[in-house]
Amino acid sequence: MSTFVNPNSASALTAFKRHLMLFILLLSCMVRSAPGFSQSPEEEFFETKIRPLLAEHCYSCHSTKAEKLQAGLYLDSAVGATKGGESGPAIVPGKPDESLLIRAVRYEENEMPPDRKLSDVEIALLTQWVEAGAPWPSAETIESNTVNGEYDWDHFRKEHWSFRPVARPEPPKVNNTMWPLGPLDRFIAARLEETGLSPVDPAALHVLVRRIYIDLVGLLPTPDQVQTFVSAARLDRQAAVSDLVNRLLDSPRYGERWGRHWLDVARFSDGLGGFSNPRAATAAWRYRDWVVDAFNDDMSYDRFLKLQIAGDLLEGREGAVATGFFALGPAYKSDGGDPDSIAQAKGETLDDRIDTLSRGLLALTASCARCHDHKFDPIPQQDYYSLAGIFNNTEIHDFPLASAEVVEAWDRKTKAIDDLKKQVGDLRRRARKEKRQLNEREQVLKKQLQAQEEQLKDALPPKYPVMHILQDTGSVNMPVAIRGNMRKPGAEVPRRFLRILSGEQRQEFTDGSGRLQLAEAVADPANPLTARVIVNRIWMHHFGKALVRSPSNFGISGEEPSHPLLLDWLASELIDSGWSIKSLHRVIMTSATWQQSSTIDEKNFEVDADNRLVWRMNPRRMDVEAWRDCLLFVTNDLDLTNGGPPFEDPAETNRRTLYAKVSRNGDQVAADAFLRLFDFPLMKATIAERPMTIVPQQFLFMMNSEFMVARAQALAKRLKAAESRPDAQIELAYQLLFGRPPNVDERSIGVDFLAAPSEAAEDQIGKLPLLVQYAQVLLSSNEFMYVR
Amino acid sequence: MYQHRNMRPAVDRRDMLHRIGAGFGTLGLAGMLADGEAVAESTEPSPLAPKKPHFTPRAKHVIQLFMPGGPSQVDTFDHKPLIEKYRGQRPKSVDRKSLRNTKNGLFPSPFRFRQHGQCGKWVSEIFPHVGELVDDICFIHSMHTDIPEHAGAILMMNLGHLQPSRPSMGSWLAYGLGTENRDLPGFVAMSPYAEPRGKLANWGNAFLPGAYAGTYVNIASMQPDRILRDLNNQWLPRGVQRRQADLLTRLNQLDLRRQQTDQQLESSIQAMEMAFRMQFAVPEVFDTSGESRTTLEMYGDSEYAKGCLLARRMIERGVRMVQLSHSIDGYDIAWDTGHSEIAGGHKRLADACDQGIAALIKDLKQRGLFEDTLVIWGGEFGRAPTSEGQKGRDHDHYGFTVWMAGGGVKAGYSHGETDEFGCMAVQDRVHVHDLHATILHLMGLDHERLTYRYSGRDFRLTDVHGNVVHDVLT
Repeated sequence: MSTFVNPNSASALTAFKRHLMLFILLLSCMVRSAPGFSQSPEEEFFETKIRPLLAEHCYSCHSTKAEKLQAGLYLDSAVGATKGGESGPAIVPGKPDESLLIRAVRYEENEMPPDRKLSDVEIALLTQWVEAGAPWPSAETIESNTVNGEYDWDHFRKEHWSFRPVARPEPPKVNNTMWPLGPLDRFIAARLEETGLSPVDPAALHVLVRRIYIDLVGLLPTPDQVQTFVSAARLDRQAAVSDLVNRLLDSPRYGERWGRHWLDVARFSDGLGGFSNPRAATAAWRYRDWVVDAFNDDMSYDRFLKLQIAGDLLEGREGAVATGFFALGPAYKSDGGDPDSIAQAKGETLDDRIDTLSRGLLALTASCARCHDHKFDPIPQQDYYSLAGIFNNTEIHDFPLASAEVVEAWDRKTKAIDDLKKQVGDLRRRARKEKRQLNEREQVLKKQLQAQEEQLKDALPPKYPVMHILQDTGSVNMPVAIRGNMRKPGAEVPRRFLRILSGEQRQEFTDGSGRLQLAEAVADPANPLTARVIVNRIWMHHFGKALVRSPSNFGISGEEPSHPLLLDWLASELIDSGWSIKSLHRVIMTSATWQQSSTIDEKNFEVDADNRLVWRMNPRRMDVEAWRDCLLFVTNDLDLTNGGPPFEDPAETNRRTLYAKVSRNGDQVAADAFLRLFDFPLMKATIAERPMTIVPQQFLFMMNSEFMVARAQALAKRLKAAESRPDAQIELAYQLLFGRPPNVDERSIGVDFLAAPSEAAEDQIGKLPLLVQYAQVLLSSNEFMYVR
Repeated sequence: MYQHRNMRPAVDRRDMLHRIGAGFGTLGLAGMLADGEAVAESTEPSPLAPKKPHFTPRAKHVIQLFMPGGPSQVDTFDHKPLIEKYRGQRPKSVDRKSLRNTKNGLFPSPFRFRQHGQCGKWVSEIFPHVGELVDDICFIHSMHTDIPEHAGAILMMNLGHLQPSRPSMGSWLAYGLGTENRDLPGFVAMSPYAEPRGKLANWGNAFLPGAYAGTYVNIASMQPDRILRDLNNQWLPRGVQRRQADLLTRLNQLDLRRQQTDQQLESSIQAMEMAFRMQFAVPEVFDTSGESRTTLEMYGDSEYAKGCLLARRMIERGVRMVQLSHSIDGYDIAWDTGHSEIAGGHKRLADACDQGIAALIKDLKQRGLFEDTLVIWGGEFGRAPTSEGQKGRDHDHYGFTVWMAGGGVKAGYSHGETDEFGCMAVQDRVHVHDLHATILHLMGLDHERLTYRYSGRDFRLTDVHGNVVHDVLT
């Protein structure tokens, strides 16, 4: 396992070698970890036998996590146990008979645990442990063992492509110097030349202009806009592209389009996760609007991230809304009081934070280290709980956006209502305790109280507005959960960043939850992942396929970049531009690579059908947002009001689809069904890439839904208002929808379709005029839905 | 699992399928279009086209009779006469601290048990119809699961995972085997009024491709257009709609030709054709007017029985899996009424499904479908033999009963045991993961080989667990 593959080469041989290396690496990990965490026998005994026992039977009353600490005794640390509580030391190492803990579990004194005596075996285990001197492994010993035993850190850092520092590579030399328009193209051309392939022709202008509009703003160009661009591009193609890109980047529609891409990473929803996570996030839209504005303002990406992790700590109230990134994640609940289920729910909630942070921002699958050290990547289980510890000191808070007086008045009023409710409850309870019905006086009183309550409720104004933010609740470390079971705490670990990214000497996070320090670590330009990850995501949205085709997994089990040097060059460009995302769009969209056509070249296709070397543009289906927006836009019906609370039902509004309310469960609000039908993903976890499915239900929607028929009627109306002859109507429809005139075949097929005898009986043409039927077909067509 | 990873050829899998195995899709489509309506040419195999299992299957279809809420084993199929003897006592084996609200003593079943069939199986009086069929049934009394709460345990039963982030068993089956009728979805989930807790997750595809998602049908209405959105065209008669669909197909084919070749465009032409046909195939499934009087009477008229009949009609037409969840009064965990009172609650629930279930088995046998169909009955966990309050029982995830019947399972057989009071599985324990492994095995799939790569690792229905229970196989 001495050499990893050189990521700049992709020959089959190296792929094979890399494989072999991986296999050996895995094998050696398995062998090394066979005895289990490389612990000493004492530690193992403690972790497998004693700590679980203490955790299960003692911690509910005797630990830092106890709701109400009993007798001042902590049994979750060595210090606590030997120091003891009100009755003196709990443990005298080596002397079980003198140890209060042992006497108590034997029920000789203090009878603990109070609800049930431990089994003989359990008592024997505890006795054996105290006899042996009550060895209690410290966090440090476990950490150092793991480090020495588990991962070859230097090796990972040197050999795995994504852990290596980002270096700014020189654009390679290429033979065909005519094709490249900039450095980006030289990286692409070099790989193509290596493989004997060549790029396809540039896209036709009417195709290109449609691509630019959909890519940047998610809307079609109007026929006039097509014409303007085509005329300009005939004079100077590159200048025309550059001008148009700049103009669209300045449009507020841009943030709506690209903000939505980020909302996928943020697994954004309006809450309503269903039975285990039912909360509605009524103010989620404030975070959504913040994201849209950030893109429109070209906020530097490092700041964008820092605010989402710790905006409240960095900028107070102004920045707090950005922490919706975490605060809008699920907060799982258990549906009963079962302690295992409660612990499970809490573990899931923390896991959401770690998963979103690690896959979303760093493309690392840190969640895999929840129950055991990561099988592939250098992420020990301790690192997972170092991160979990940060979020364990946070809570979701509905921050009031109103004056203190307003909030206080609201609290006072709602408290008064609660008090009245409580008084009624007290009456009932007292009667029940005395095993009787309410007496007459109590009946009257109850009625009075309830009437008052109703009165107060009626007078209650709507609740003041809030925003959902993350806020700190404390500053303590948390223990490793043994095998991921939160009820089996292991050694406590300090809060800090991942060792593979910040080194052996990494700083411990001790300010509050530690989020501010976490934010700095994530956005550190020396962090090898952050810039690569976002550059790759942006590439994916421009090309339909990413350079690293596992956009949320840059670990050992993820894909390797098809163009590692290009990825690093783009990452360097991003950082050097002051993390400007808009600059990156310009670099990509003005390239010859991006402006290629999407047509197939037989020879290239034989060698690289999957287009990994980017010898053409990938044709793509529009996402559901762009598709619905365009369906409304081509008849001038799209309502471009931006921001504010979401709409519930897409059938009842013409606002952009971005503003639809979506539930985390995907089945709670009206918009869910429509969006999900066209692959809007379930916002339960950070989205790496949207799936693309083609199912019959989509066509039932296109053929039969009232929405589609209404769109067809609107289009037919527009065609009819502008033109009276069928061939002219067809011509206009093609210009509006596809930005091109129909060809001879298409024209004659259309004319034939529209030429059915218009006076035909309804059973021959149905209840829709032929022009409406025709418009519906064009709106349902692949050419309308695809970007080429 | 790493052996074939980066050795993948430059052409992706879809494309390989297209080149090598174009036969599947074409055959299916040709069969489908035999009635002479316009033919959309396509060679792209649908993701739902039938696929070869790993080995010869014992069953081809699954009907899961899901009983959410937790039916009590000791009041249905796991007869424990000793409870009566120790009534009110708390012997050590039931004195389990982490059982929930069960501080009371043993509580004998309010129901009488009687022996049935050649095998002499003891069955509670609340399942008289099913009781008659014990010689066709394979009982597993030693089931256990991870937690005693509905939400998680229901997901465990249907997804093999406590959280709703994994594909459902039916979507795994659709992914692994495809479906035989391309006019209908491969996996259908049904219930009257209430969707089982967890809703969509129980038939969802999670990260599997969308084609494998189950289609949920609320059978309270029995109106297909309320079941599948936009199933009916309210504007155009069939012939006119055909003409419109043909226009779309023609334009899409011209477009495809311009793009030279494109899998997505081909798939979409095919999916459109399927949608066109579903409009007419789905109402046909729901139209039970052609069933004989004898058949309809055999099923009876409960909501659940209607579902049983529909399940048979779907299986008959090639649907891979039907999940039929029980509910009455719109309660999503119906059997949970066992908390307050077993006698009334369980009796009512059994009354509402017993006849339909028995009719389904008899009907499948009469039609020669029984050998090819695996019927599975059970809830997410069971209920404790001790009492909650005076007459109820709380959850028990340490031991419960599931039964199977049909393709590939032993008939008139009981596997595994709970302790003498029915509290905890003690003999030949079967975890839900083991049940899943066994179901996949019966369907011809190796649960360790049916994998899907997502987010950097290969996922399975059984995660890293599961052993096939060979003892229940014929």
